[in-house]
Amino acid sequence: MNFKPDEALLMAYLYGELQGEEKVNVERYLLEHPEAVRELEGLRQVQSIMAGITDKEVIAPPIVLDHQRKYYFWNTSFGKTMLGIAASLTLIMLAGKFTGLHISVKDKTLAIGFGYSGSDSPAEVATSQPVLTSSEVQDMINQSLSRNNESLVAQWSESQQKLDESIRKNLASYSDSQFNTLMKQVSAASDEQIRQFAFTLQADNAQMIKGYMTLNSSDQRKYIEELLIDFAKYLEQQNRNDLQVLQARLNSIEQNTDLFKYETEQILTSIISSVDNSKSFATKN
Amino acid sequence: MHAETLPDMALMHSDSLVERARQGDRNAQGKLVQLWYKRIYNYCFKFFLDHDMAMEASQKAFISMCRNVEALQDVSRFKSWLYTIAVNSCREEARKVKNSRSLSFDHVVSADAEDSPAWEKAVRRNENPERQYQQQELSDLLQQCLMELSIEQREVVIMKEYEGLKFREIAEALNISENTVKSRMYYGLDTLKKILERRQITKETIGYEL
Repeated sequence: MNFKPDEALLMAYLYGELQGEEKVNVERYLLEHPEAVRELEGLRQVQSIMAGITDKEVIAPPIVLDHQRKYYFWNTSFGKTMLGIAASLTLIMLAGKFTGLHISVKDKTLAIGFGYSGSDSPAEVATSQPVLTSSEVQDMINQSLSRNNESLVAQWSESQQKLDESIRKNLASYSDSQFNTLMKQVSAASDEQIRQFAFTLQADNAQMIKGYMTLNSSDQRKYIEELLIDFAKYLEQQNRNDLQVLQARLNSIEQNTDLFKYETEQILTSIISSVDNSKSFATKN
Repeated sequence: MHAETLPDMALMHSDSLVERARQGDRNAQGKLVQLWYKRIYNYCFKFFLDHDMAMEASQKAFISMCRNVEALQDVSRFKSWLYTIAVNSCREEARKVKNSRSLSFDHVVSADAEDSPAWEKAVRRNENPERQYQQQELSDLLQQCLMELSIEQREVVIMKEYEGLKFREIAEALNISENTVKSRMYYGLDTLKKILERRQITKETIGYEL
């Protein structure tokens, strides 16, 4: 019989988990092989020694679970990493904003500054844009329109001037030529013709003056007549006024003399009476 | 083998409890934690020989149990399923410790200390032979022997020797074949035997000590 139990079978036998034919086979083998028994005994001894390990007493801590807990994105490690990166980026940007960090690359030079904003900073452009109000926009439109008008007017006056000049030039050239012909005619005319021309001119003038004089004399006569009448009326009115003034004066003088006369009479009578009284008093005494 | 205590008896009849926990009964889940906590903690403790890490690993195992118990297919496989969780939890913790740079004080003992077992020193303390204390000392000493096993052998030995699982259950928990379990068990015991011999721990010395 060549049966030899392997480790697995021995273990199963050792822990009493073998049943039926296998168990019988192992037991028969052990009867025939005392060295296997010794090995098994050695293992049993190990078992019994190791059984000296005692259990530790422990109190179960309360285990509280939230079954509703879900695995959100930010609960995963990836989500946490992403959120961390985002948060640190935000922090850096905020720090840059509050310290006025300015970084510019110009002409192969890198400039980093705090609290400085260059003239060419894009932030300034961005801020200046919304400052424009509608009225300012209107002003700008008006300015450009007026500028446009001015240029139009200037252009227009310039063309006008040019036109005038050309017209004048044309005219000048024309009159010059006429004048030249006239001058030629005049120089061509004889003495007789000139005398005749002067004579007719004199006759015309005499006639015109005569007409004027006659017209003028009749007008003047009428005017002087009216003037005389007016003057007479004026003199008459003046006399009347003088007479009235004289009359008034006389009347006032008359009144004054009357009053004076009356007063003197009164004074005289008072004097007379006083004199009489004194005279009678004197006589009584 | 561990003694049959009241909780252990309850463990045997916990199928209906598991069923209720599976249906989402928080109370039943809490009871399961109470029933199994000591066993899982002791498994973890023997695996780590460290209270804090054992607490950490067992709590994580139970949190995982409560979260996933509703997905458990077969109620009768609850035990091996729970040990699967415990094994994974312990392995994860061990990996973390390996990766972390901090050292436990337990690992900073000098090599000389290993050659002079603590129980030998205890001989000189016969003036105060407190039995419980000695028992604890022996227990710690044997656990140190256990720690010398490879992780794979240690897992199997703890589950078989102290947790009393059947080879089938261990195979299920570790997701390996029964024969592999048995063979690991055999070599585990064999290694332990050599360790005990090297440390000169025999039935007699223990008897003398006790």
